[in-house]
Amino acid sequence: MKKAARTSKTKQQSWSDWVRERDDPRIAHTKPDALDDITVLDLSSKSFAGCLCSSLLAEFGAEVLRIEPPRGDFLRTCTPYGILYKGEGLNYLTEGRNKFHITLDLNKPEGREIFKGLVTHADVLIETYRPGTMDDWGIGYEQLKEINPRLIFASITGYGQFGAMSQSRMPDYDNMAQARSGIQSATGEMLPEGKSYDECPWAVPTKAGPWIAWSAAGTFMAVGILAALYWRGITGEGQALDVASAEAYARFDDYAALWYQGAGVVSERFGSLDLAGWLYCFAPTKDGAVFLGGLRLEMWQAFADMLGKWDEWGAASWISISPFTQKEEQLKWAPLMFEETQKYTNEELVSMSIEYGKKGRLAPVTPVVAPVCSPEEAMKDANWLDRGMFTPVQDPVYGELIVAQAQHKMTENPIRTKWVCRPVGYDNEHIYLKYLGWGPSKLKELKQKGII
Amino acid sequence: MAQQTWENYRQNKHFKPSPLKGIRVLEICTIILGPAGPGFLGAMGAEVIKCELPPKGDTMRQMTPFGYFFRGQSPPMMHSNTDKYWLGLDLHKKEGQQIFRDLATRSDIVEDNFRPGVLERWGVGYRQLKEIKPNIIYIAKTGFGQWGQYAEENRPSNDGAAQALSGYAWMSSFLGQPPLKSRLYVCDTFGALMGEVAVLAALHHRSRTGKGQYIELSQSENIMRAMSWVWPYQQITGTGAMPAGNRDVSICPADTFRCTDDTFLAIAAPAPEEFKGLCTAMGKPELAEDPRFKDHLTRLEEENAAAILKIIATWVRTKKPDEVEELAEQYGFAASRVYSNKDVVEDAHFRERGFIIDIDDPFVGPFTEYEFPVTMSKSTPKVKRSLRAVGFDNEYIMKRILGKSEDEIEELYRCGALGKWADMQGCRPPPEWDGKAGVITAED
Repeated sequence: MKKAARTSKTKQQSWSDWVRERDDPRIAHTKPDALDDITVLDLSSKSFAGCLCSSLLAEFGAEVLRIEPPRGDFLRTCTPYGILYKGEGLNYLTEGRNKFHITLDLNKPEGREIFKGLVTHADVLIETYRPGTMDDWGIGYEQLKEINPRLIFASITGYGQFGAMSQSRMPDYDNMAQARSGIQSATGEMLPEGKSYDECPWAVPTKAGPWIAWSAAGTFMAVGILAALYWRGITGEGQALDVASAEAYARFDDYAALWYQGAGVVSERFGSLDLAGWLYCFAPTKDGAVFLGGLRLEMWQAFADMLGKWDEWGAASWISISPFTQKEEQLKWAPLMFEETQKYTNEELVSMSIEYGKKGRLAPVTPVVAPVCSPEEAMKDANWLDRGMFTPVQDPVYGELIVAQAQHKMTENPIRTKWVCRPVGYDNEHIYLKYLGWGPSKLKELKQKGII
Repeated sequence: MAQQTWENYRQNKHFKPSPLKGIRVLEICTIILGPAGPGFLGAMGAEVIKCELPPKGDTMRQMTPFGYFFRGQSPPMMHSNTDKYWLGLDLHKKEGQQIFRDLATRSDIVEDNFRPGVLERWGVGYRQLKEIKPNIIYIAKTGFGQWGQYAEENRPSNDGAAQALSGYAWMSSFLGQPPLKSRLYVCDTFGALMGEVAVLAALHHRSRTGKGQYIELSQSENIMRAMSWVWPYQQITGTGAMPAGNRDVSICPADTFRCTDDTFLAIAAPAPEEFKGLCTAMGKPELAEDPRFKDHLTRLEEENAAAILKIIATWVRTKKPDEVEELAEQYGFAASRVYSNKDVVEDAHFRERGFIIDIDDPFVGPFTEYEFPVTMSKSTPKVKRSLRAVGFDNEYIMKRILGKSEDEIEELYRCGALGKWADMQGCRPPPEWDGKAGVITAED
């Protein structure tokens, strides 16, 4: 028995070593880029979704020409508390990666003619202007497909390219999409009984802190673009793509539509408990909080046992997990449980679950216990550092900078961050020469006219 | 012009090809992180074969909001598992493993979310599959990836653990309140989506080079990638990033406010003309000239942001949501009431775009879903059908794809490699099912 266990351990070790040898982000630079045959024009304006979308392609080596108006994109000023680093906003800094930054004024007819020149070289165009803007400029999809029928024309906006609201004047921001998704309304603390919003201003519909709706929109569009590239490989045809931020994020909702359709339920906030699962919640501890997971009956029993409550709670007599997922049951059990978890620190609870998995009555079954970390703790976690999530990038302009990267690992064509960002117009000389054959004197002339 | 591109999109999308037609995906996944990815590919026209351990199948089949089953099916299970073919396959049996290998040689993509090394022990890991199908694209999605301390400790994980470990939940709370878990399984779904970026890039690489590859993705790592400023902020300032409730600390003003009727409304107006519009709408155009609010970077500073948000909150407290929405439209800033699921499902705009769709499914009956949220003018993604019971398409897959005879299929059932649903809610067909609807036979 012991021997068998050891053999399987060795095997597993060799599997992880085998993978690591091939997909460790530290050797990514020795492998080819997946998309280095693709040229992308990114016209994103005031949109993190657009910038993230082109980043996801640039990480794979696509040649992304990030085109900004001569004074730079407004997104560069969207930075926490107004903080700039070497003149750059922090959000923009994280999504300038691997892109060539050029300037071009599309408000001027000559700028639009130059843009058409770039379009002849492009495979993908990403834009986030209000629907109709590109058409009015004479560079909408129908116009550009005449120049380049293979072009994949990708638009990300608040409300999409068609439908009544598409003509809205309202701009697209992450918090708007979160509000519109149906998700914010059902996330947040429950208002304690007898209390008012004035007393508990935190017990309200709560949005996610990170720009998750914009991230959903940008990532869905990246998936759409890659699928459109595949289809173009077969048919030779380009096409137009349309993502609305609120829809992209709403698509993450697993059951709210069906629950309303089938049972008429308007979903409500349920704090850090879970509507669809037990054991599945955050629980307070002596020094913070932990996530507790145990979706199978034995895991919930193991948890009760781990806390020394096997007999008191009658765990042996439980026959199914499903009664526990009912609202009333959850509201009954959660406080009982929290009273116990508050007796321990995060670290104690984590080791208790590991120990239980070795020696407990139901071992190897044990509940999932994970500390709720601050991002500060997450960034110091040796596991993520070892896996290359926060390896500082040596950037020629911004120096050594930490951005999240290596979010997936691949054996043949892994992503990599070659540089994090560039100042406005940094690559004008290189790119205009490469694509349009324009040297310094022509660029000087365009600069004087305010076109680049 | 855009109207011309998108004219009658919703009505016509089923008369257009799907972008991933001809791609076959073999899925051996449970819960959401695993299954949602093939679900996305299925909506884009890939043929997805989902393997489940009979007779109970995917654990998700038992997870439902407050125990609510939609005609006997789990709603979240339905959501991540549209447009798939259903195989009840036991990989503990060597005959089952052989079926999996036979299917893998006929597939382009394999997706699994078992703990590291498990499929290898069953003889169907990446190293074994690439011997028989060298250009296979294989993605493994787990809590912690395939290597590193947590993976090697063989730690189990859930979406909630990833929300906790990544700092995502911590950043999504009100300052001074305990960290808040999202109602979404956001690390699962975003992770599944991020995984498909990698899978489709690998498909592009395969088209160019003929090579397949192995991809691994971690539940926590993908969501960290979406957390943007917090990492360089912590490095540069040497302090931890702090949560700020509904206020967006990178955009000002952007927050959620309470209206006179105690409903909630989000507003954003950071760009100069948007901010001016909001000030004018509030009847205080002079605020746009106030030195505290004169430009975006100044406005974002803690004290100034607090000041302007307070002014807006006081104003919104006297308004109904539709009043502010109308003003936003008129003055060119953004405002929207916080939508409930009911608002989303009934929204005329979402309906008109074909984002909220009603699907007439022969197996579960009519149901409402969210469409795949990328509209494509020539090759259209579309969700077409719902889930099926465990092992529902066994015969179809065995005959149509593997060419098995009736006798061979019978033998596979006898040895337990193939199986069908348990007679329990979530696994079996809906009570209304007539024994035929939705069945595909290879002879058709």
